Amino acid sequence: MTDGSGFRMDRQERDYMQHLFGKHISHGQVRYLRCAHLDVYERLRRGATFTDAVSGRQFFDCFSSAGCFNVGRGNEIIRDALKCALDGHDMGSHLLLSEHKVRFATKLSSLCPGDLNKVVLCASGADACAGAIKLAKGATGRNDVITMNKAYHGHEGYSLSANGKDYYKELFLPLMPGFHIVDFNDLEAVRRLASKDIAAIVLEPIQGEGGIHVATTEYIRGLRKICDEHGIMLIFDEVQTGFGRTGTLWAMEHYGVTPDIMFTAKSISGGLYPNGAVVYREIEPLVGYVEANPLFHTSHGGGSDLGCIVSSAVLDYIVENRIWENAAKAGKRFKEGLERIWSENEDCVKEVRGLGLMIGIEYKYEFIGALMADCLAKQGVWAVYSGNAPQVMRFQIPITAGEGEIDELLRRIRAAVKTMRWYLLPLLPLAKVPPIRMLLDNIHVQIIAFNLVRDIEELVLRFVPKK
Amino acid sequence: MKKTKSAKKNLVDDVFRGAEKVFSRSYVDMLRAKGHDFVEQEGRGSRVVDAAGNDCIDCYTSGGTFNLGRRNEVIAGRFRKAIDETDQGNFVMPSDYKALLARRLSEFVPGILDCVLFGVTRGESMDAACKLARGFTTRPELVTVDGGLYGECGFALSLSERAGREQFGGLIPGVKTVPFGDVEAARKAVTSRTAAFVMEPVQAENHCRTADEGYYRRVRDLCDSNGAKLIFDETQSGFGRTGTRFFFEQLGVQPDILIVGEAVTSGMFPMTAMVFTSELKRFFDAHPLIHLCTFGGHDLGCLVAMAALDEYDRLAPWENAAVLGGKLMKDLCALAAGHTKKVVSVTGKGLLISMRLKAEDQATRFCAVAQREGLLVDAGRMDRTTVLIRPSLLIDQEDAGRIGGIVGTTLGAL
Repeated sequence: MTDGSGFRMDRQERDYMQHLFGKHISHGQVRYLRCAHLDVYERLRRGATFTDAVSGRQFFDCFSSAGCFNVGRGNEIIRDALKCALDGHDMGSHLLLSEHKVRFATKLSSLCPGDLNKVVLCASGADACAGAIKLAKGATGRNDVITMNKAYHGHEGYSLSANGKDYYKELFLPLMPGFHIVDFNDLEAVRRLASKDIAAIVLEPIQGEGGIHVATTEYIRGLRKICDEHGIMLIFDEVQTGFGRTGTLWAMEHYGVTPDIMFTAKSISGGLYPNGAVVYREIEPLVGYVEANPLFHTSHGGGSDLGCIVSSAVLDYIVENRIWENAAKAGKRFKEGLERIWSENEDCVKEVRGLGLMIGIEYKYEFIGALMADCLAKQGVWAVYSGNAPQVMRFQIPITAGEGEIDELLRRIRAAVKTMRWYLLPLLPLAKVPPIRMLLDNIHVQIIAFNLVRDIEELVLRFVPKK
Repeated sequence: MKKTKSAKKNLVDDVFRGAEKVFSRSYVDMLRAKGHDFVEQEGRGSRVVDAAGNDCIDCYTSGGTFNLGRRNEVIAGRFRKAIDETDQGNFVMPSDYKALLARRLSEFVPGILDCVLFGVTRGESMDAACKLARGFTTRPELVTVDGGLYGECGFALSLSERAGREQFGGLIPGVKTVPFGDVEAARKAVTSRTAAFVMEPVQAENHCRTADEGYYRRVRDLCDSNGAKLIFDETQSGFGRTGTRFFFEQLGVQPDILIVGEAVTSGMFPMTAMVFTSELKRFFDAHPLIHLCTFGGHDLGCLVAMAALDEYDRLAPWENAAVLGGKLMKDLCALAAGHTKKVVSVTGKGLLISMRLKAEDQATRFCAVAQREGLLVDAGRMDRTTVLIRPSLLIDQEDAGRIGGIVGTTLGAL
């Protein structure tokens, strides 16, 4: 390979890369990931796996960049589409029309339920979230927005204001005014706030970063009714749940409810080229607003020619292979396997939940998240706990994974749990003491303690002769 | 032959009908009014080619993105190889592609801006910059100048003065806007509560507006004496566009945070970044993963950007921008002097040039006529009476001459 990033790295090279990353990007991020053996340098990214440049070990990718690799990593068909596109295209001119922009937008709208017929092309999930909220505010002429506790929509100004975790927000205040946060699945809380001042209700049908919380059918249908009564725009964030992840093409299909506005990104680009979109219903006041303000949200990098060619290929692949069916089938097998592991470990596992191949395990204590990530990494499973709920381990393997891969993954998880139980022998009794539990759950304590362990481990490895 | 022509016409009709249906009719009407009612087929060097096979000189370059020409062959070649090597990667991982590009970019940017956070859009990078300034200083206020345009995300929109933003209700509180170039107003606005002073040193979409050199130095001093951070958005003026790598080099003033746009890949990949001092990075060290961007620092994009930076260094296009920009400016000023009833003024730096006409509809008509004559240009988004001329930085003398010629013809036809 070129550019200094060789196919394999020895420890010295890895340490140098970590030094560079720490010097130019964030030393804190390196330490954070290092503490749970998550500082892996990816190579050979294919299907549901990648290999670690240092050890050569193959890892199951259970994070998938928070659900970006639905069509499998390095999907050859998508790669070929991008390579061919490079013969004649670049990003294209922002705001000018091309065949590829229109073809992709039309294809996307044709795959959305109901009258979700209109599209605004965007560059990322956060950018699309901003576009969706601006559309609702502009069209209704209202300011306020209801969002959910533990929700995660992104980090730019609008999406950050809609997030349901203080850690991401509190150091950057004040944010957008008029965002009201309520508990997920609590219809009464929404009903109390619903009024003619509310422009939109924004939610993920299944909260990803929030800890894989699935909305109930009653809740989603109730929200639709409230929105209809008050002229509020119902907005679904299908950034992580879209493109087959939950066992249907869109998570909204589980509920039989069409939102007024839906936004998506991540897997839209097959993990190869950024893209995103807002899709909205062909109804008033949305259409009238956009006709009067066609440039209400423009996105320079969104809807590029190359991006639209790649995204069209992704949509074709998803539809031709009906990959959501595999997500449903493989997801059922995986969830049942995790439930068996849960039943054997009820003292530390609280619940297994999710839909399709978007599944989470909730542990009884927050500190178990980092511990389990570490044990999984040692077994060749790259999984991270939820950003907004550290006690929940998320599993979002590429949804093209076969039965054999699911079985192997379950075997490795079982082995990781077995290792974790040794660590828990002293820790579980200690965690019953509230001050100690607070210490164990504290992320800064975890970073210091795990990095210390890792330093010792690295020191020992230096003296182990290379095979 | 006839059949091919008719097939091409059908394609154009289909695209426009499809766009009316899936985007909006008014958007398509807007393109028609500006003469942009053609279907872009591909880019080649300094030219853009439409579906009918007509080519014209691209002086829009997607808002100054294609600095190394349309679909730069060297970058495209490296891109093609990289597709088999990598993909976007897991965004939370400490990737070596990100690390290497961050080092490369920090070396490319002059001065002490050693650290990088990648984004996908200009707006996202501006939002990240405002957050970093607030987070680092623990102060709430952001001061900016009037007439700015920074993007469509929350903080960026709150700082911009673009028309229609009042439709979105309340914006980010704590933003003060002062007149650009007014030292006294800046002095009053910057206090111990100011996190950052934000500006585009050249307001490209606002008739390439700049301030006196002394103004930038005074603002820098004000920031230093009040503990505030200085943020420059060089999305349009960066990567050689104004005759130096970045415009701030001409001012002798270094920002604490610099926003760079999609020119970092010369329009081959949606990537933006904020480049900042190692002092500010302490905030990210203390708060890991507090600002995330799934597609930001995309591994494949990093390889594309590294190829582009190699090309920037090899070709030093800022030198060409300075020389040919000066020549073009002279030609356009001469044309303006001959069309005083139509042209108000011509201004700019390097190959970022703005021509102000008497009225908005004249600027719109200029775009339409110029397109027919073989020149793709767009009107300024902030000052809609202006037309921006920002070609590839690799144009040659002949291209520069043709641009001047078409502008002359267009002004004559208006």
